[in-house]
Amino acid sequence: MDAFRIFIVEDDVFYGEMLRHHLALNPDNEVHLYKTGEECLKNLYRSPAMVSLDYSLPDMSGLDVMRQIKKEHPEIPVIIVSGQEDISTAVTLLREGAYDYFVKDDDVKDRLWNVLKKIRENVQLRSEISYLKEEIGRKYEFRNVIKGNSPSIKQIFGLIEKSIKTNISVSITGETGTGKELVAKAIHYNSKRAKKPFVAINVSAVPRDLIESEMFGHEKGAFTGAITRKIGKFEQASGGTIFLDEIAEMDLNMQAKLLRVIQERELTRVGGNELIKIDARLIVATNRNLADEVQKGNFREDLYYRLLGLPIELPPLRYRGNDIILLAKYFVDEFCKENKMKKLSITESAQQKLMGYHFPGNVRELRAIIELAAVLTDLDQIDESHISFNSADAAGNLLMEESSLEEYTRKIIRYYLQKYNNNVLLVAKKLEIGKSTIYRMIKEKQI
Amino acid sequence: MPESDKNHYCLDKLIGFVGNDPDAIKNMVNLFLSTTPDLLQSINSGFHEGKAENLAKAAHTLKPTLDVFGVEDTYDLIRSIEQKAKRSELDAELGKHIEQLNTTMELVFQELKLAYLET
Repeated sequence: MDAFRIFIVEDDVFYGEMLRHHLALNPDNEVHLYKTGEECLKNLYRSPAMVSLDYSLPDMSGLDVMRQIKKEHPEIPVIIVSGQEDISTAVTLLREGAYDYFVKDDDVKDRLWNVLKKIRENVQLRSEISYLKEEIGRKYEFRNVIKGNSPSIKQIFGLIEKSIKTNISVSITGETGTGKELVAKAIHYNSKRAKKPFVAINVSAVPRDLIESEMFGHEKGAFTGAITRKIGKFEQASGGTIFLDEIAEMDLNMQAKLLRVIQERELTRVGGNELIKIDARLIVATNRNLADEVQKGNFREDLYYRLLGLPIELPPLRYRGNDIILLAKYFVDEFCKENKMKKLSITESAQQKLMGYHFPGNVRELRAIIELAAVLTDLDQIDESHISFNSADAAGNLLMEESSLEEYTRKIIRYYLQKYNNNVLLVAKKLEIGKSTIYRMIKEKQI
Repeated sequence: MPESDKNHYCLDKLIGFVGNDPDAIKNMVNLFLSTTPDLLQSINSGFHEGKAENLAKAAHTLKPTLDVFGVEDTYDLIRSIEQKAKRSELDAELGKHIEQLNTTMELVFQELKLAYLET
């Protein structure tokens, strides 16, 4: 760990020297002693971890020095160590941002050590947070997050790059499992807002009665159960990004409130009067076609245009060609690494089987299929027998293989006969065809 | 430890700050002996020249140093001098307080010099 740099600003030569000697007893501390406020301010470029400041200095007051420090480096804790025993002075300094205020008396030594311990812990925590934020940034570097070489995914990379340069709202559409939240995170963690929070809220997962409080917060006593003030997601995302997933599920009443907040850039907590400015970038996502929802009257047209911003439409996996294999190999490698398994390959026949599937659950489904296959195999490879599809979307699977209309008809009747235990009458009724047609096809061994 | 029961100072607080290191203590005593007379001089001249602000400032600076050196009977005295000077009450009572401070400090200087500079 780097030295813990402490500035002492003290014009009393004796007291300053004594504090310097005292704090230097800990070899981790690097202590600098200055006799004037100006000297201290000139040396702020050294980034002290803490400043111990006397209130009465020859060139300027401790309050002015502290204000200047706070203006330039608001993160540096300033401790006032002063002979001033006047309570109002202490209150003023604490209100102005002093970390603590000590009178030069018997307790200074112990209080100084205690406060140093706390600051040191805070510095360590801040450094850990900063490291983790950088790690998250690296994790969400968008080419690490979104794998693929297909033209459709390259086009998405281009749009993400455009979106990270500005604060424009982004609307992400795509089928379930295409990675809408990953794209939202990639945009946030690669933008200038990366060091501020990314706050996600799934609109459909929050009960309708609570959505307003969840998004905008509430004051204590706003409703039964509101026992304390709650800060909403928009406020939590201050300086960062708010991601509203499944936005199409929002009811019309809430849509009106959201529109007002977006237009005014301010909100009022439920049960409150105070107007709170908001500074959060907005990214929304849905697996529905919002324009259709507007046509049907389920979504406000004015809100739709407000949210549209830069539209990013994520392609379904089945349209991404060879990306399926690229992703499958990536998932199997990741799974083996995480579970400390030997490396597995995917046979040609397994790859063929994957390429022939239509993946209604998209990338999420592919991952699940691959992880299951990796568990099932006893070999050092995954072959087609380890690949099992559990999709309930039979029609989608049916259409994956190109066939004649006659062949499709036979497949459909076969599927229904299986489903209804070969009950021809029931199947005929369900498909609205004559039972004799089915009997004929059975007789002619067409099914 | 060169301190004796008769002394008008007590170095416990100073040792608490700088540790029980004879060199460090000697350095701090030297610093005390070189800086405190000037502050006393400012207090005296402030009183005699009617410069209350200078007097208050010097008393304010001297106050924590006297606490650290545990100078006998000066805890309330130096605070009283500072407060009266802040109120510009440069009266006979203040004169008496300053005289008392001068006397005590003269003794402390002699005792410290004897204990730390002449050994």
